[in-house]
Amino acid sequence: MSLVAEAFVSQIAAAEPWPENATLYQQLKGEQILLSDNAASLAVQAFLQMCNLPIKVVCRANAEYMSPSGHSLSDGLEEVQKAEMKAYMELVNNMLLTAELYLQWCDEATVGEITHARYGSPYPWPLNHILAYQKQWEVKRKMKAIGWGKKTLDQVLEDVDQCCQALSQRLGTQPYFFNKQPTELDALVFGHLYTILTTQLTNDELSEKVKNYSNLLAFCRRIEQHYFEDRGKGRLS
Amino acid sequence: MLLGGPPRSPRSGTSPKGPRSSTGHVQFGKSPQTWPRRTRLRSPEPAAPSGVRGSTWPKRRDSPRRAGPTALSRYVGHLWMGRRPPSPEARGPVPRSSAASRARRSLASPGTSPGPLTATIGGAVAGGGPRQGRAEAHKEVFPGQRVGKMAAPMELFCWSGGWGLPSVDLDCLAVLTYARFTGAPLKVHKISNPWQSPSGTLPALRTSHGEVISVPHKIITHLRKEKYNADYDLSARQGADTLAFMSLLEEKLLPVLVHTFWIDTKNYVEVTRKWYAEAMPFPLNFFLPGRMQRQYMERLQLLTGEHRPEDEEELEKELYREARECLTLLSQRLGSQKFFFGDAPASLDAFVFSYLALLLQAKLPSGKLQVHLRGLHNLCAYCTHILSLYFPWDGAEVPPQRHTPAGPETEGEPYRRRNQILSVLAGLAAMVGYALLSGIVSIQRATPARAPGTRTLGMAEEDEEE
Repeated sequence: MSLVAEAFVSQIAAAEPWPENATLYQQLKGEQILLSDNAASLAVQAFLQMCNLPIKVVCRANAEYMSPSGHSLSDGLEEVQKAEMKAYMELVNNMLLTAELYLQWCDEATVGEITHARYGSPYPWPLNHILAYQKQWEVKRKMKAIGWGKKTLDQVLEDVDQCCQALSQRLGTQPYFFNKQPTELDALVFGHLYTILTTQLTNDELSEKVKNYSNLLAFCRRIEQHYFEDRGKGRLS
Repeated sequence: MLLGGPPRSPRSGTSPKGPRSSTGHVQFGKSPQTWPRRTRLRSPEPAAPSGVRGSTWPKRRDSPRRAGPTALSRYVGHLWMGRRPPSPEARGPVPRSSAASRARRSLASPGTSPGPLTATIGGAVAGGGPRQGRAEAHKEVFPGQRVGKMAAPMELFCWSGGWGLPSVDLDCLAVLTYARFTGAPLKVHKISNPWQSPSGTLPALRTSHGEVISVPHKIITHLRKEKYNADYDLSARQGADTLAFMSLLEEKLLPVLVHTFWIDTKNYVEVTRKWYAEAMPFPLNFFLPGRMQRQYMERLQLLTGEHRPEDEEELEKELYREARECLTLLSQRLGSQKFFFGDAPASLDAFVFSYLALLLQAKLPSGKLQVHLRGLHNLCAYCTHILSLYFPWDGAEVPPQRHTPAGPETEGEPYRRRNQILSVLAGLAAMVGYALLSGIVSIQRATPARAPGTRTLGMAEEDEEE
């Protein structure tokens, strides 16, 4: 979450021109990267694509603690729209990201089968276990602090459903959330939804919830085609 | 004492405001704070042994039942089938006077301001079974209504009022405002002892089935289920906006509020702790505010932990910057409207109001955010508008009526005073008893000519002999 948040916040501070050899660091794709980090990274990639900024994606094991800087896509919006955009971005962070974190770290089935193994994979034993448990403990504490500690998986899925419903209603039939031009919100939503849709987890309920909303699916597809495939920058995997 | 008795709540901004506590604070409720509004209702109703009897407002138009998920989204999940209360103009001075509401007519309560008074008579029926009252009057029976069954009215326990607000706590204020918006018949107990609430924390809602809910979002969800829905008239898009803006509030504004009231040293010592220490009964006021502060600190750290700032100053600055931005965004979104979604208040208004009102009304010695907020005039006007419309007694001077029903009001004070005297006496008795038993002091029935001064000699002699 900090990746994306800092990316979009530092746009204000980014005064220097975009460096030529900018790299986006993310965790090892095949093995280490987790749902939520993948989503965040993808969101940043999408955002940068929309800004026409060249980016090289580099995989690093400790990418969790690094962050990029960015530009602003939302200058053309009115004040009220900017307010709405920020609010919806918070909504996505609040609901979708937290749900992803919950699923990864608090759902025992997923944790056992996928998360622990992936999170600790670049490190030797016993460091992999220790780091994984530490991270899990951290996430659980945070969940408790925001009131998600007692939630069951069904409740979390319901929350995701509510969030998707809200996004779907906000999007309506427009191509992007603020009509013609993509904004940070589009990048963020795309990052999360695409990741949810394409990541294999122990159960598919999360992606099923998203699939219920056809305009969101179309939205993801549209962005994927327009910004990732057309540019020939390589597949999203 | 500050916030000692019921008279506090109606006081205007001259009285210091208490800190806002978010969910999970311990609540004391030794002496229920009477709400001036309630006192008016007291006359027709039997005197409440504790707390304030909430006015039992007539039920609003019913809205379809809807099961919902939990927490924020769950609570908002009802939005799309929600119902909005009639616009304030229709209500007149009393928010409850939803003149347009059939329910009110059914209870034969006047549409004017003393509405609550007479309505409570009918409200006794309404409180027990709002649907029943309505059904009787209109001969309408909606599916799923409990016709003919008198259920207990819902009771809400919340922190008492201060600083010109009906409650000093963020969540309590939000729930109260929402209840006011929708005219839900709640028996409100304003207490300052969290241990007196059924769940140990405030706010807490005891439903008509005896179940206790203490998460604010769930309380509002429950009210919605009971057909007190402020979001009924919202479009789907507005419902989505509500969800989004509430996330914004929680992410950006809440940490700063917690910081302002509980972590910032000056504010905490001079405003927050002062209020709570004075409001809570002895001896809770010695340790509970500190405990609450520690809980908040922990929560704040967890909430902002992932930012990993270099030092606390940076984090603070960043937090405040984001909060100022959030306030500006809210101001932009509100524009010149009366409420966020037009002319009638919705649940989002309840939450935004609770945040803003606390920020505005509390007299904070170091209130950077307050200064920024005061600069956003439409938000200030918004707050004042809601305050004057829905909580007129709390903002105004103490009405003289408050003094007339002296029973339940002053009940709080002597009760508290009595406890203090009792505990002092108990301490004295313990000390004297110990002294007597261990022989330090002995009552000598010896020569009456014995001067008091020699008594001490006698004691010394005894010690020596021993």
